[in-house]
Amino acid sequence: MLIEIKDLRKKYIMGEMEVEALSGVNLSIAANEFVSIMGPSGSGKSTLMNILGCLDTPTGGQYLFDSIDISSRTDDELSEIRNKKIGFIFQTFNLLPKLDALQNVELPLMYSGVDKKERRELAKKALKRLGLESRMNHKPNELSGGQRQRVAIARALVTNPEIILADEPTGNLDTKTGREIMEIFRELHQEGNTIILITHEHEIAQQANRGIIIRDGLITKDELNDQKNTLLSEEVDELK
Amino acid sequence: MQLEENVQAAFNGLKEHKFRSFLTMLGIIFGVASVIAMLSIGEGAKREAIKKYQQLGVNNIIIRDMDLSDKELENMRAKFSPGLSLKDAQAIRDIVPHVVDVAPQAEKKADIKYQDKSVKATLIGVTPSYSEILNYSADKGNFITQDHQNRQLKVCVIGIDIASKFFSIENPIGKSIKVDDQWLEVVGVLASKSLFTETVGELASRDLNSDIYIPLSTFHKRFEKEKLFSSELKQITIKLEGSQNITQIAEIVENLVDRHHFSNKDFSIVIPVELLKQEEKERRIYNILLGSIAAISLLVGGIGIMNIMLATVMERTREIGVRRAIGAKKHDILSQFITESLVLSIIGGIIGVIIGLSFSISISFFTEITTSVTLYSVLVAFLFSVIVGVTFGYLPARKAAQLSPIESIRHE
Repeated sequence: MLIEIKDLRKKYIMGEMEVEALSGVNLSIAANEFVSIMGPSGSGKSTLMNILGCLDTPTGGQYLFDSIDISSRTDDELSEIRNKKIGFIFQTFNLLPKLDALQNVELPLMYSGVDKKERRELAKKALKRLGLESRMNHKPNELSGGQRQRVAIARALVTNPEIILADEPTGNLDTKTGREIMEIFRELHQEGNTIILITHEHEIAQQANRGIIIRDGLITKDELNDQKNTLLSEEVDELK
Repeated sequence: MQLEENVQAAFNGLKEHKFRSFLTMLGIIFGVASVIAMLSIGEGAKREAIKKYQQLGVNNIIIRDMDLSDKELENMRAKFSPGLSLKDAQAIRDIVPHVVDVAPQAEKKADIKYQDKSVKATLIGVTPSYSEILNYSADKGNFITQDHQNRQLKVCVIGIDIASKFFSIENPIGKSIKVDDQWLEVVGVLASKSLFTETVGELASRDLNSDIYIPLSTFHKRFEKEKLFSSELKQITIKLEGSQNITQIAEIVENLVDRHHFSNKDFSIVIPVELLKQEEKERRIYNILLGSIAAISLLVGGIGIMNIMLATVMERTREIGVRRAIGAKKHDILSQFITESLVLSIIGGIIGVIIGLSFSISISFFTEITTSVTLYSVLVAFLFSVIVGVTFGYLPARKAAQLSPIESIRHE
C-alpha cells in the first residue's frame, strides 16, 4: 500500500475550545488509484488533505506514506517528502506571479538540488506534455485559467511524484475548462499515476475510480464507481 | 545552489518596488557615504600632518631659543646664560651619541629692497648642512655652500615668494638685493615649501617661502643683533641616525644645553616625531567619534531594511506557503530573504561608496580641507553595510521561515 492510515486523529485548540477535525480515520490507498475525497466544509477534508500532503502532522494514529511513518518526521524531512514524492495542485493554481511558466515548473527541482541544465530540460518536457510549449516564457498573468492550471499540473508532475494531490483543481475554472483538466487527470491516471482529488462537486468526484466521503471527521462512505466514470469520459469525448 | 535564483528573485523584487527599495537603501547610502567621507577627512588630516612633520625631519630634534623680551634677556645674561650658541651646537655634535649632523641657524627680521620694491622678511643665517638636514633644495642656482660660509660672502638664497615678488620675469640669479644696509648677491632660489599654517610646538608659524637664507658667518659678521642681548643662534636642528631612542637622546641634549646655560630655561626642545604621535592620538579619538556618528546612520539604515523586509514577508506569505508546499525547507526560505536584504544593503553600499567618494573629492576641491580616501575605508564602510544587511535581514527572514505552510498558503 502506498498510503496506510490507521485511526488518524487531529485536534486543534481554538481559544479555549478543543476541536477534533479528524476523529479516527482509517484509509488505505494503493499505487495507481484515482481517489476522490468529498465532504462539506468543516468536515475535515482539508485537514486530511494537509496530513496526506505532509503539510501537517496528526495528533494521534498512524500515517504510513510509502512505508515511512510521517508522524515522527522533522520539518526538513517532511519538506523533502513533499518535494520528491508529492505533487500539489491547488484551486487557485498558486503559481509564483513573478516567474514565467518554465521557472515555475523548475521550482521544485531547484529545491531538490537538480542542476540548472537538467531541470530546464525536465521542466520543458513537463510543459510539453501538457501542451504548453508555446507558453513556456509567459508569466502566469499572461495565461488563461486553464493554462495556469496546466502549468501547475506540470509543476506537480515534474518531480515524478508518488502521488498527485489535487485540491479543488477545477474550482476556479469554467465548466468546459474544468472538464479539460479532468481529462488530463484521467490521462495521468492511465499513465500510472496515483491521484487523490479533493472536491465538493459530485460530478467531479464521480470521475475518480473510488469515491470517499468524509463527514464530521470520519469516513462515511468509501466505494468504487468505475461505471459512472467511463460514462462521463464518453460524454467529454462527445463534447470535444 | 539556489543562490543565483535567490539573487535573481531579489533583483526582481527591487525592480518591482523601485521607489520603496530606494527609500529603504537611503539609510545605508547615507551611512556608507558619511563613513567614507569622514574617514577620508581624517586620513587627509593625517597625511597633511605627516607631510608637515616630515619637513621638520622625522629623525630630527629641534632646539629653539625662547622668544624673550629685552628685560628677560638681560636677566638671563645676568644669570650667566649665554643663550643658544655655536658652542652648544659644537658640544652636541661632539658629545651626544647617534648624531649625524647639526644645523645651527640664526634669525632676524629684515627689510629687503630691490629697485623700488621693498618687503619685510625673516633673514636666516645657516650653514651648508642646513639644506641636507631639513631637505631644502634650490629651485634655481645653489643653496649656501661651504665656500660661502668659509669666506663670509655676501650672498643669499631667497624663497620663491620673494623671487616672484621682486623678479617677475628677470632671472634673480646674480642680481643684488639690499637687506637692511647690506647688498647681497642672489645665488639661488628655493623650491616651494608648503605653508606652515599652524604652530608646531615652539616653532612659530610663518611662510617659509618668504625667507632669505645667508651664510651663518656672514650673518654674524655683517648684521646687527635684533636685540642687544639676543642669543647667537635661534635654532639648532639635530639630525639623528634613526628615530629610535629619540626621546632619550633629546633628554641628553636637554641636560647638556641646560648645563651650558646654567640651568636657565631659555630654550625649548621639539621632537617632531613625538608631536606627530601625539597629534595622531588626538586625531584617533576624533575619528572614532566621527565614525560612531556615521555608524549610527548605518544602524538606522539597517532598521529601515528590517522594517521593509518585515512588510515584504507579510506581502509574500502566500508565496512562502507555495514554496514550502513544493519542498522548500525552512533554511531555503531563510536564505532567500536574507539574500534579498543583502542585495538591498549591498546595492545601497555601492551607491554609498560612490557618493562618499564624490563627496570627499568635492570637499578637497571646494574647501581647504585635504581628504584622502583609502581602500581600507571603502572596505570598512562596505563591510559594515553587508553586516547590517545580514543582521537586520535575519529577523524578518526567520519570521518567513517559521511561517506555517498551511496557514500561509491560504493567506489572501
